[in-house]
Amino acid sequence: MEFNIVNPKTKSELLGAIRKENHFRFGAGCTDLLMELKKKPEKDLTVINLSFVKDPLFTGIKKSAKGLRFGAMFTAHKIVVNEEIKNKYHVLHEAAFNLASTQIRQVATLGGNLCTASPSGDMACALVALQAECELMNTSGKSRMVPINDFLIGVRKTALKKNEVLFGVAVPANKKTTTNIHSGFIKIGTRRSMECSVVSLSYHVQLDKNGIIIQAGIAIGASAPTIRFAESACEFLIGKKLKTISQEEKERFADKVLSYASPITDIRATAWYRKEVLYNISKSILE
Amino acid sequence: MKKELKVIGKPIPKHDANIRATGKAVYGHDIVMPDMLYGAILRTEHPSAIIESIDVSEAKKLAGVHCVITAEDVDVNNIGYKRDHPILKTGEANCTRDEIAAVAADTKEIAQQALKLIKVKYKVRKGIYDVQEALKKSAPQINKFISGKFENKNTAEIFHYEHGNLEEEKKRSKHIVTRKFTLPRMTHACMATSNITASFNLIDKKLLLYSSTQVPFLYQRDMAHALKMNPSDIRVIQPVIGGGFGSKLDMHPFEPICALLSIKTGKPVQILYTREEEFIASPIRQPMEIELTAGVDKAGNFTFREINIVKDNGAYTSWGATTPFVIMQAFSSLYKVNAVKFDAMAVYTNNVFAGSFRGYGNPQATFALERVIDLLADELGIDKAEIRLQNANRKGETTGQGLHFETCGLVECLENVISKSHYNKKKSINKEGRFKKGIGLASMLHVGGGAKIYRSDGCGTILKIDPYGYCTIITGSNEIGQGSETVLAMIASEELGIELKKIKVINTDTDVKPWDVGVHASRTSFVAGNSLLGAIKILKEKLNKKASALLKSGDSEFEYSDNKIISVKSNDSIALDKVVREMHFSEPNELAIADYFYEPSSKFQDKDFKGNVSGTYAFASQAIEVEVDTYTGNVKVLDVYVAQDVGRVLNPLLLDGQIEGGILQGVGYALTEELLMHEGKILNPNFHNYKMLTASDIPNIHFSPVETFDKEGPYGAKGVGEAPLIPTAAAIANAICNALDLEFLDLPITPEKVLKAISLRNTKNNSKINSHSL
Ligand SMILES: Cc1cc2nc3c(=O)[nH]c(=O)nc-3n(C[C@H](O)[C@H](O)[C@H](O)COP(=O)(O)OP(=O)(O)OC[C@H]3O[C@@H](n4cnc5c(N)ncnc54)[C@H](O)[C@@H]3O)c2cc1C
Repeated sequence: MEFNIVNPKTKSELLGAIRKENHFRFGAGCTDLLMELKKKPEKDLTVINLSFVKDPLFTGIKKSAKGLRFGAMFTAHKIVVNEEIKNKYHVLHEAAFNLASTQIRQVATLGGNLCTASPSGDMACALVALQAECELMNTSGKSRMVPINDFLIGVRKTALKKNEVLFGVAVPANKKTTTNIHSGFIKIGTRRSMECSVVSLSYHVQLDKNGIIIQAGIAIGASAPTIRFAESACEFLIGKKLKTISQEEKERFADKVLSYASPITDIRATAWYRKEVLYNISKSILE
Repeated sequence: MKKELKVIGKPIPKHDANIRATGKAVYGHDIVMPDMLYGAILRTEHPSAIIESIDVSEAKKLAGVHCVITAEDVDVNNIGYKRDHPILKTGEANCTRDEIAAVAADTKEIAQQALKLIKVKYKVRKGIYDVQEALKKSAPQINKFISGKFENKNTAEIFHYEHGNLEEEKKRSKHIVTRKFTLPRMTHACMATSNITASFNLIDKKLLLYSSTQVPFLYQRDMAHALKMNPSDIRVIQPVIGGGFGSKLDMHPFEPICALLSIKTGKPVQILYTREEEFIASPIRQPMEIELTAGVDKAGNFTFREINIVKDNGAYTSWGATTPFVIMQAFSSLYKVNAVKFDAMAVYTNNVFAGSFRGYGNPQATFALERVIDLLADELGIDKAEIRLQNANRKGETTGQGLHFETCGLVECLENVISKSHYNKKKSINKEGRFKKGIGLASMLHVGGGAKIYRSDGCGTILKIDPYGYCTIITGSNEIGQGSETVLAMIASEELGIELKKIKVINTDTDVKPWDVGVHASRTSFVAGNSLLGAIKILKEKLNKKASALLKSGDSEFEYSDNKIISVKSNDSIALDKVVREMHFSEPNELAIADYFYEPSSKFQDKDFKGNVSGTYAFASQAIEVEVDTYTGNVKVLDVYVAQDVGRVLNPLLLDGQIEGGILQGVGYALTEELLMHEGKILNPNFHNYKMLTASDIPNIHFSPVETFDKEGPYGAKGVGEAPLIPTAAAIANAICNALDLEFLDLPITPEKVLKAISLRNTKNNSKINSHSL
C-alpha cells in the first residue's frame, strides 16, 4: 500500500489541494480508506489528509434554531459523549455508540461514514432517519445542500462531484410541539463490538403532549444497496397514538418497513434472515 | 498438606506482565538479525489441481530476490504425524494452503512482488470436500503418501475402543436416545501471527531457529527429520509466544521452508504470516460428525454408549487426527457407564487440515454427550441435575477404560454450580414473551497430570543458587503465555525462602535446557512443578549439610525463609547466600546446583486403549444461563457458574485468567466462531467475518475452585488449562434448548439457526424439531 500524502491545514489549503491533485482520495479517520486501499491498491495515489484542517465548521458542532450542524470531521466518539445528541437525537447517539470499538470511535468520522456510502453504515443510517442534509463544498468555496437520500446513491456511490468535499451535515431540529421522542438504533449482529450490521433499523419518532405521533423517521441499513428511508412506514405512523397501536397495525407497519428491503444473501446472513429480523425488530419498536 | 504456605496460593501477577503490557516483550515479529532476508510463500490458487508447471525465472530476476525454491530444489522428507505431508508440493495441489514455492528477498515487499512473478500452470480438478464423497469407492485417492494400512484409500486413521457388554446393557435400558451432531471448524486466531526466523551458519553447518513452537524438543527432532540433519545441530530458541492453544504442537511447512531459505542463502530469513495467511494456513479444531446412541435404565443409571465419529482430516494428517484418544476418554469415563463401544475414523478430503486445539477433541465429545444426557433425562422424566449427580464419578473409581481417580471432585463441582446458579428454580422459569431465559448444565473430565502418549511424559530441571543468593531455574518446560514460569518461581520461592524477584526462569533454549515433551495436555505446572520440587529436594540436602557444618550444631532439619536457612531445633540461622559462597569457595568446593528428571506415574495405554494414561484427572461443571431473543435469534450468555477440581489453587490470579479466557473461547465455539469453507476455500479469513468474541462479550463468570489435593500433584494441584473451555458449549446448548424447548445438533448456534428453528416450529406448529431438518 503506497501513496503520497498532503496535509492541508486550512480550508483554503484544502480547496487548493483538491484543485491541484488529480488522482486523490480524502482521508479522514482512514478506518475505511486503509482497508479499501489494502484490498485494492491504487497507483500514484495522493491522499488528502483532512485531519489537520483547522476549521470549526469542518470539525465541530453547532446548535441553532434550525437544528444541529456537524462538521464532516466530527468523530463517533464526540457524538457518543454529546448530551444534546443523547437526549434529543438518541438514534444518532446509539448508532455511534454501536460503531466498532472505543479505539475506532476516536478517529472514525461522521463524514467518512457517509462518504463511504456503505449500506451498513451505522451513523449514516441514523442520519437518514433524521432526514439530514449534506453540505458539499466545491473548490471555489461554494456550498450546496443535498438531502441525504439524494447523497447516498448506491453501494460506495455518493453525489459528491470530483471537485467537492463533504463539509458538514445538518440535522433538522425536532418539532416545536414535540414533547416526547421515541428514538433509537437497533443493530443486528453477533458480537457486541467490532461488528458490521447484518441489518440495522433507525427510528426517530416525535410525539406531542397527547402521545400522538407528529413526525417519524424510519431508516433501514444493510437491507438494500443503499440505506433506505421507509417513507410509507413513517406516514403510516403519523397521527397514531404510540401507546395504543394495535397488534394488527404493528404488523402492517412492519410490512411497510419490509417493503423497502431487498437484502442479499452473503456469508454473514441469508436474505431470509435479514427480512425475518427486520420484520421482527420493526414490530418491536412499537411494543 | 496442612503446612502453611507463604507464596503458593497467593494472587501473584505474571512475572512478565509489565513487560508485555508496555510492549517491551520480544515476540518473533520483533527479531532482527544482521543481513536478514524476508521469506514469503506462494500457495496454490486451487484447492485441488494438477500442477503442470512452475516457472520461477522472472521472480529470480527481480532485484532484491536472493532465492526462490520449489520442491525440485530441495532434498527433504515429508512432515506431519503420519509423514504424509510434503513441505513443498509438486505434481498436484490438494489443499488451499498448499505451498508451491518460496522466496527470500531483501524486503517483505520485494518478496511479495516476486511471488506475483511466479507462473504456475494448473489443471483444476473437482476436488472432494465432503467425507462421504471421499469414502465412496469411485473417489480418487487424495493423499498419495499413506501407509495403505486401511481398507478405504481415503482413510487416514481409525480408532476402536470398547468395554463392557453392550448388547446386555442395551437390553437393560429403559430409554435409548440416538443423535448425530455436527461440529464446526474453529481456529485459534492467536494474537501473534505465525512466525519464524531461521539462521543457518554455512561454516559450522548449524541451524538456529527462533520458533514459536509449544514442543521444542519434538520440534527439533521433526525439523531434523524433515531437513535430513542431526537434531542436535538445530538449536531452537523460543521468543515470547503470542498465543498457542495447541496450534503450535505440529510443525508446519512454513517452518522448514524458512530453514531451507536460510540454508540456500546462508543468511538469516524471517517469515511472518499476515492475518489473512494466519486464517488460511494455520490449524483448526477438528470438524466432525458424532453419532451417539446412549441408554439409561429405569433407575436413572447410564447403561451404555455407542459412538461413531467421522472426522474431516483434510488433505494431510496432523496431531489433530489423534484427538480420539481424548474423545474416547470422555465417552468411556465421564459419568459411570457400564458399556461403551467407540469408533472413530479420520477421512482425507481436499479441505484444510486440523491441528490440535485446547481441549483436544473433548469440547466436541462433551457437547454430544451432555446434550444426550439432557435428552435421556427428559425421556425418563427425571431432573437433569439429578441424573448427573447420580451417575457422577467418585473418588477411588477406576473406569472401564482403566482411568483411576485417586481424587475426584465431580460431585462437589456439580453440587456447587447447581446451588450457586439456583438451577432448580431457574430451569422452569416462565418462558413467555420475546426474551426467553434458559439454563443448562454440563461437566467434563480431562487429563490433569499430563498424558503419556510419547515415550516419556517427563520434564527435567536444573536448579542453581548463585553466591548472591539468586536462584535460577532451568526447566525443560516452556511458557506460551499460560504463566507456568511464574508458578515455578513461586514454588522455588516457597521452598527456598528466596524472594520472587531473585528468581529467574530459563526455559527458551534447547541447547541449554533439559528435556521435556512440551506444553500440551494441561501438563506444565503439574509436571514441571513436580520436577522442580525434585530438584529442590536434592539441592536442599546439599545446602543443609553445609549449613549444619557452618552452624556447628549438628542439626539436620532446616527451614528456609527470608533468604535464610534456619535450624528447626535451635532456631539459629545463616544467610542462604553465605552458605552458597562457602560451598563454592571453600573446600571441597561444591556447586549449589541440582538436577532432576520427573516422570509421572501414568502408564501407556495398551493396544485396546486401556490404562491409566495420566498422573491425575481434572473435573469441572458449568451451569450457564442464557437469554434468547426470539425476534433476532441472538443468544446472550448471562451468567456462567463454574466449579473446577483444580487439585489445589497455586495462583488464583493466573487460574482466573485460564477460566475466563477458556470460557470466552467456549462461548465463541458455542455461538459465533466458524471458519466457513466452500469447495476447499476459506470464505472468512479475517476478524471481520470470523466472529471471535471480544472483551465486551464476556459474560458474568462466577468461579469456585474445588480443591481435592491430589497427592501426585505439586502441593496437590492438577492441570487446569484446557478444562474451562470444554463444557461451555455443551452447557450453552443445553441452556438454549431449555429456553426454547427446541433441539440444536450443530455448533455454532448462530442467530440465524435459532430464528430458523423458531420459525419452523411456528409454521409446522410442531414442538420437537431438530436443526437437521432445516
Ligand atoms: C474494525 C472496524 C470496525 C468498523 N465497524 C463499523 C461499524 O460498526 N459501523 C460502521 O458504520 N462502520 C464501521 N466501520 C467502518 C468505518 O470505521 C466507519 O465507516 C467510519 O465512520 C469511517 O470514518 P473515517 O473517518 O475513518 O473515514 P475514512 O476511512 O477516512 O474515509 C472513508 C471514505 O470517505 C471519504 N471521505 C472521508 N471524509 C470525507 C469528506 N469530508 N469528504 C469527502 N469524502 C470523504 C474517503 O475518501 C473514503 O473514501 C468499521 C471499520 C473498521 C476498520
